[in-house]
Amino acid sequence: MVRTSATVLEVRDLVVEFSTERGIVRAVDGVSFSLMAGETLGLVGESGCGKTITCLALLGLVPSPAGRVVSGEILIDGRNIVGLNDRELRRIRGRDVAMIFQEPMTALNPVFSVRSQLVDVLKHQAGMSSRQAFVRALELLDMVGIPAPRQRITDYPHQLSGGMRQRVMIAMALACNPRVLVADEPTTALDVTTQAQVIEQIAKLQKELDMSVILVTHDLGVVAQMCENVMVMYCGEVVESGTAREMFASPAHPYTAGLLGSIPQIRKTRLQRLPVIPGLVPDLLNLPQGCYFNQRCAARLQRCESVRPGLERSHNSERQVACFNPQAGK
Amino acid sequence: MSAGIGIEVKERQTLWAKARYRFLRDKPGMVGLVVVLIFALIAIGVVFGWWGNDWSDIRGGRFDSASSEFWFGSNVNGQDIFSRTVYGTRTAFEVGLIVAVLSTVIGAVMGALSGFYSGTWIDATILWLKGVLDAIPFYLFVVAVAYAMQGQAYGMHVAMIATFWTTTGRLVRGEVIKLKELEFVEAARSIGVSELRIIFRHILPNTFHLLLVQCTIAFVAAIKSEVILSFLGLGIKDGVSWGGMLAESTAEVAAGEYNNFLFASLFMFVLVMAFNLFSDAMQDALDPKAA
Repeated sequence: MVRTSATVLEVRDLVVEFSTERGIVRAVDGVSFSLMAGETLGLVGESGCGKTITCLALLGLVPSPAGRVVSGEILIDGRNIVGLNDRELRRIRGRDVAMIFQEPMTALNPVFSVRSQLVDVLKHQAGMSSRQAFVRALELLDMVGIPAPRQRITDYPHQLSGGMRQRVMIAMALACNPRVLVADEPTTALDVTTQAQVIEQIAKLQKELDMSVILVTHDLGVVAQMCENVMVMYCGEVVESGTAREMFASPAHPYTAGLLGSIPQIRKTRLQRLPVIPGLVPDLLNLPQGCYFNQRCAARLQRCESVRPGLERSHNSERQVACFNPQAGK
Repeated sequence: MSAGIGIEVKERQTLWAKARYRFLRDKPGMVGLVVVLIFALIAIGVVFGWWGNDWSDIRGGRFDSASSEFWFGSNVNGQDIFSRTVYGTRTAFEVGLIVAVLSTVIGAVMGALSGFYSGTWIDATILWLKGVLDAIPFYLFVVAVAYAMQGQAYGMHVAMIATFWTTTGRLVRGEVIKLKELEFVEAARSIGVSELRIIFRHILPNTFHLLLVQCTIAFVAAIKSEVILSFLGLGIKDGVSWGGMLAESTAEVAAGEYNNFLFASLFMFVLVMAFNLFSDAMQDALDPKAA
C-alpha cells in the first residue's frame, strides 16, 4: 500500500483541566502527537488516564463547563480547532473527525429505527435527499458487514445484538466520510468473538477508505494487531510512544512493561499468579512528587521521587520515553 | 404455524407493530378505546350538526320523565336532557383536547429546555415560573384568570393550560436530565448535530411515553375541572356542559329530580374511566424499553 505521509491531525501540548469541588484536576497534561493519513494510532492506558478526554478534545467535545482546554493546539489539516465556536466545530464533527463510542447499548437512540437514525444523519450532516440517503444508508450497512441490510434497516436498537449495534454506530460515524475515526474502546462491551469481527471490520474499512484511526483500548492484543504506532498514557501524560513493533518487543517505560507483563499467556509452567502492576492509579487531585509512576515502579531511582521526567527521544529510533531508568531491551 | 416461525416473525416486528400487537391483546384497554371512540363519534356528530344541537330548544314540560321523545327526560325549563348530555360530550372533548394538547406541548418544550440546560439561567427561570404558578391555589388562579379575561370564551382553557403544564414540565425535565447523559446524545454531538436538534429531535422523543400519559391525565383532569368551574359559574360561556348540568342538579336532587345529575355523572364517569383504561394500555404498549 502506498502511504501518503501527509499529516492529517496534529496535537501540540494539549492540556485539559476539570474544575471539581475539591480543586482543579489536570486530566490531560501536555499531550502531543501527530497522525498521518491512513495511520492507526493506539492509545493505551488504565481507566481515568485521560484517553477518552483526549479523544473528546479532538471533536471539541470536552464536557463543559466543568472541563476546558487550557492550552495547546489541535491542528486538523493545519487548522487549529481549539477555541472555535460551536457552529464551526459542528462542521468538523462527523466530516473531519468522527467517533465511535464504547457502549453500543446506549449510543443509539432507543426510540428510532436504524433507518431513521442513519437517514437523519445523511440528510442533515451530508445534505442528501431522503431517497439518496436511504440508498446510501443501505450501502453503509452493507459496508460495515451487516447481513440483509434491507431487513435490518427497519429494526430498532433493542432488536440488534451488541455487535450489530456497534456496526450500526460505525456506519453512522462513517456517514460523512471522516478523515479521522476515533474509536473509544469500541470492543470493550462486546463478546470476544464479536470483538475480533468488529476490529477486523474497522481495519478493513480503514484500508478501503484510507482513514486515519485512533484506537483507544485496554486490549494490547488489539493494539498489536492493528496499530502502527502506540501511545501509552498515565495520569494524563504520555509516558511512552513509538511503533507498536518496537514497543512490544522491548518496552522501555516500566509502566508499559508492566502492562505487557500483565497479559495472561499460555506457558509451559503454570504461573502461581499473574504479574500485576502493584498499587493503584494515584488520585489526580493528589499526584505524587516527581514521576507520577514512582510509587508503583520497581525500577525507581532516587531522582524519580523529586523530578518529573520529560518525554525524550531515544538515540536511534522514533521512540519517546518519559523515564530516567528505562528498561533495557531484551 | 410452528413455534419457531412465530418467534422469527416477532423478531422482525417494528416498534409500532409490536405496540399494536401488545395493545390489541390488552382487553381493558381495547374496551376503553372502543368507548372513547364512541364518545368521540358523539362529539364529532355534534360538531357536524347530526345530533344534539337542539339542546336549548324548549319543547317539553317541567321535569318530564323519560319517554320516547325525551330519552333522558326534560329539565326544569323543558329542555331535552338527552340532547344536553350529548352536547356536553362535545364540550368535554373540546375542553379536554385543547387543554391536554397545549399543556403537554408547553410542558414538553419547557421541560426539555430546563432539563437540557439544567443548572443554567434558562433552567432557573423556568423553575421559577413553575414555582410561581404552582404556588397559587388552582381555583383562585382560575378565578383570577377568568376575571381578567372577562367575556373571553377561552378564559377557563387558558387558566387550566397555565397550571397543568407545570407537572408535565417537571417530569420531562427529570427524564431529560437522565437522558442527556446517555451516549447517544454524545454520539449525536460527535457527528455535528446542533443542540436544539439534539433536544427536540433526539432527546424529546424518548419522553414520548411520558407525554402520552401526561396528555391523557390532563384530558381527564380538564374534564373534571370544567365541572367544578362550571359549578362556580366560571365554566364555558355558550353551550352546555356536564358541569353545568351538575350545577343545575344541585337544586333538583333535593327535590327528587335525578335525571340531570344521573346522566351527566354517568357520561362523565364512563368517559373518564374508559380514557384511563385506554391510556394505561397505551402506556404499556408503547414503552420503548419493553423488548
